[in-house]
Amino acid sequence: MEYIGEHLLIGKVGNVFVILSFVFALIASISYFFAARDNEEAASWKRIARISFRVHGLSVIGVVATLFIMLQNHYFEYEYVWHHSNKEMPMRYILSCFWEGQEGSFLLWSFWHVILGFILQRTSKNWEAPVMATISIVQAFLASMLLGIFVFEYRIGSNPFTVLLRQHPDFANIPLFDNPNYLEKLDGRGLNPLLQNYWMTIHPPTLFLGFALTVVPFAYAIAGLWKKQFSEWLKPALPWTFFGIMVLGTGVLMGGAWAYEALSFGGFWAWDPVENASLVPWLTLVGAGHVMLISRNNPQSLFITFLLSILSFILILYSTFLTRSGILGESSVHAFTDLGMSGQLLIYLFFFLILGVVLITINFKHFPKQKEEEGIWSREFWMFIGAVVLLVSSFQIMFYTSMPVWNKLFNLNKAPAKDVIDFYNTWQLPFAFLVTLLIAVGQYFKYKNTDIKFFVKKISLSFISALLISAIMGYFLNFSKLFYYLLLFSSIFAVAANADYMIRILKGNVKKAGASVSHIGFALILLGALISTSKKDIISQNSSGRSIESLGDKMSNNDNILLTQGDTLPMGKYFVTYTGKRFEGINIYFDVIYFSKNTDGSFKKEFSLAPLVQTNPRMGNVAEPDTRHFLTFDVYTHVTYADLESLKEKKAETKDEYSLAKNYTLKKGDTIYSSNAIIIFDSLSTSFDKTPYNLEKDDIAVMAHLRVLDVTKKHQAKPLFVIHNNMIQPIGSKVDELGLQFMFWKLNPKDGNIEISVQEKKENVRDFIVMQAMIFPYINVLWIGCIIMVIGTVLAILERLKRSSN
Amino acid sequence: MKKIHIVGIVIIAVAIGAIFTTINNTSTYASFTEAAKEPGNEFHVVGKLNKEKEAVYEPKVNANLFTFYMIDNKGEERKVILHKNKPQDFERSEQIVLIGKMEGEEFVASDILMKCPSKYNDGKPQETASK
Repeated sequence: MEYIGEHLLIGKVGNVFVILSFVFALIASISYFFAARDNEEAASWKRIARISFRVHGLSVIGVVATLFIMLQNHYFEYEYVWHHSNKEMPMRYILSCFWEGQEGSFLLWSFWHVILGFILQRTSKNWEAPVMATISIVQAFLASMLLGIFVFEYRIGSNPFTVLLRQHPDFANIPLFDNPNYLEKLDGRGLNPLLQNYWMTIHPPTLFLGFALTVVPFAYAIAGLWKKQFSEWLKPALPWTFFGIMVLGTGVLMGGAWAYEALSFGGFWAWDPVENASLVPWLTLVGAGHVMLISRNNPQSLFITFLLSILSFILILYSTFLTRSGILGESSVHAFTDLGMSGQLLIYLFFFLILGVVLITINFKHFPKQKEEEGIWSREFWMFIGAVVLLVSSFQIMFYTSMPVWNKLFNLNKAPAKDVIDFYNTWQLPFAFLVTLLIAVGQYFKYKNTDIKFFVKKISLSFISALLISAIMGYFLNFSKLFYYLLLFSSIFAVAANADYMIRILKGNVKKAGASVSHIGFALILLGALISTSKKDIISQNSSGRSIESLGDKMSNNDNILLTQGDTLPMGKYFVTYTGKRFEGINIYFDVIYFSKNTDGSFKKEFSLAPLVQTNPRMGNVAEPDTRHFLTFDVYTHVTYADLESLKEKKAETKDEYSLAKNYTLKKGDTIYSSNAIIIFDSLSTSFDKTPYNLEKDDIAVMAHLRVLDVTKKHQAKPLFVIHNNMIQPIGSKVDELGLQFMFWKLNPKDGNIEISVQEKKENVRDFIVMQAMIFPYINVLWIGCIIMVIGTVLAILERLKRSSN
Repeated sequence: MKKIHIVGIVIIAVAIGAIFTTINNTSTYASFTEAAKEPGNEFHVVGKLNKEKEAVYEPKVNANLFTFYMIDNKGEERKVILHKNKPQDFERSEQIVLIGKMEGEEFVASDILMKCPSKYNDGKPQETASK
């Protein structure tokens, strides 16, 4: 069939770029490999290598540009475009569509490698060939992820340019494609509403730049091992490593900020596998950066330096495998769906893992040795210990996160425990304590050896002031666990000691204070995390007074509260009212107003929040919280349930007083619910005062005793089951206060079961929401810490660059 | 003994500790029958919502109570009591993972995870209302 309006040429162009990028990455890696050898041919190999890498890089840019044009022009004939975008989407989300899918995110990653490669080609001087050889082979692997060709039944890569929507196996035999002009009638599936916000525009590029940057210390470490220049690679790799620490750290924290602002975790960090997968490489990279500093002069730490530099990149590959192979399954909210590339990802992972292990093993004997051990009072020793703590902490996180992998490997069926967050926190708290303690004292130690008197003299001021401050703060915070106090002290100590170091020892020379500034930032992040998490106050908890004993909810989780439109309920120090909902496009906003009570008892409006539910018939509804930020605390509000079903029929109301009857079959003691009460069937009776009912002599009448409980009161309802002249003529009973009416329709004489119907007044069904509200105290300390840490890392990088250019 | 050895021993000890506590701090995927054999222990039960039977959520009475019927992967059905709000989009779930314990004939869940086909995959190409 001839289809009308398809743009097949652009796909062919894109595909050519994909193939070129793969082929030239291969050529570049081979020729850089030969260029790195010390012989006469090296120079000519290098020329070929340089050109090949440039062709590869331009091809990757070509792939990116082609895919972008396809998305921008809504070429829905391509599955990728149809899958990730639609016509209504504003321009700014086209970028998000680009990297929503696996293929696009591989492209983004590969694109950053190209940029880094171009910079390294110009700046890495005699390291160019060995370093670029590694980067080129990494790129060849990444480019293969987009090939989409079959080799012996096995598909390599997934290619966005060759998969046409009408040829996609999932969509075979769809009648739409019988129409040659199907494109006219087709709209894209659109971007997941969860991802339609500015975070999705800035978070992935930052995170992937962070991922990409780990390849630089990795490539340098491999080059150092390969060329047996065990210490020389450290100097050029250092600024890159710290740049990576900065960008990857920013990316991870941005993810936390995104979760806090726009997702419904109820916090900024949930120890989700995908979060862990990018946190752990950051921890090892931080360790790598610090041991690189000491290894320049002290070969004793070379082993751990190589280990951490190589491990950081391997962990990035491992996290890619975890998030993209589908192995995480239900245990994570934001894993990608499986594209059948897990085998390929594993080959990728093991190739570089084995490369690293083999190179370290064969070179280990040749590492230069130092005769003396470093003294216990040297900075080297404590930096080494710090790196070890980070490594062990990473191990703990990764081991637990990898549970689905252990299940697969050893055929287990272990599931994460109920309170995963608490488990991680319990383990990581002592590590955080040790790290902050080391951050506090670290710079007061000198390389080689420290005069202890000098050390004590300098550190005592910040030690004592931190002790005082944390004692006062601890008194007011009133923590539940001992370790919280320890971390409170150690992080304040770290802030004080580094501030003091800046002022008294560096004499306020900000340019040289990169380490101190970023350490202050890191300690503040932990301090903010500690206070805001441990003192998180769920104010929607238990304030309703609606705990109903008959439900026996001993393990109930009472974080949710029901707010009926117009009612005001106390929550923490606030009084909260739900005023109604607003419709804006696909979003439904629920207006919630927070009041405070004046001393004279009148209410004063403090602020209003509008948490929302995004409705999307194709992808499901997504709730998004709304948070009010104050200097010292945040008020977080999230709609966990809203009766969206009633929206559909909201205009169909008639003037009928009562809604349709609901029927129930009950045995003695059973409980049923109306929208405003609990109804319990207590007993039946035949002997009762029959005078009010106008019964005749032969009538058989049985009375059901129903107990009707609302929040404050107990009511009775007594519907009658009557047989009059062999006809059933029940007599209803009403509870006017609650707008309920009961009819008794059937009686089973054998087991005493009854059938009753319940009708409710229409006005009973008022609009309501179920929501959660939490207060996060001092969370701003955390965000300020993030900014300070980034500034500090920038200062450190600038100082390193200045020193290495001199 | 060198300092490095002491550090090494401490690392190994902590790592073993991490492995053991991790193994102890897990729950197990199970069916309702298996969960019923050990009523005090917590399990993860995977299954599907029984759409024939009523799922009751009466937020006006208790916003933290939701009951429904689930059929586990072995085909066994149990009443489930979830002490949480009814998850948004519950009816669309394709698969449910419950975390909780058996109490008598009922499964009392403290948490629920849902897999909605719609979130990432669903939707076939279809005609849009003619524009």
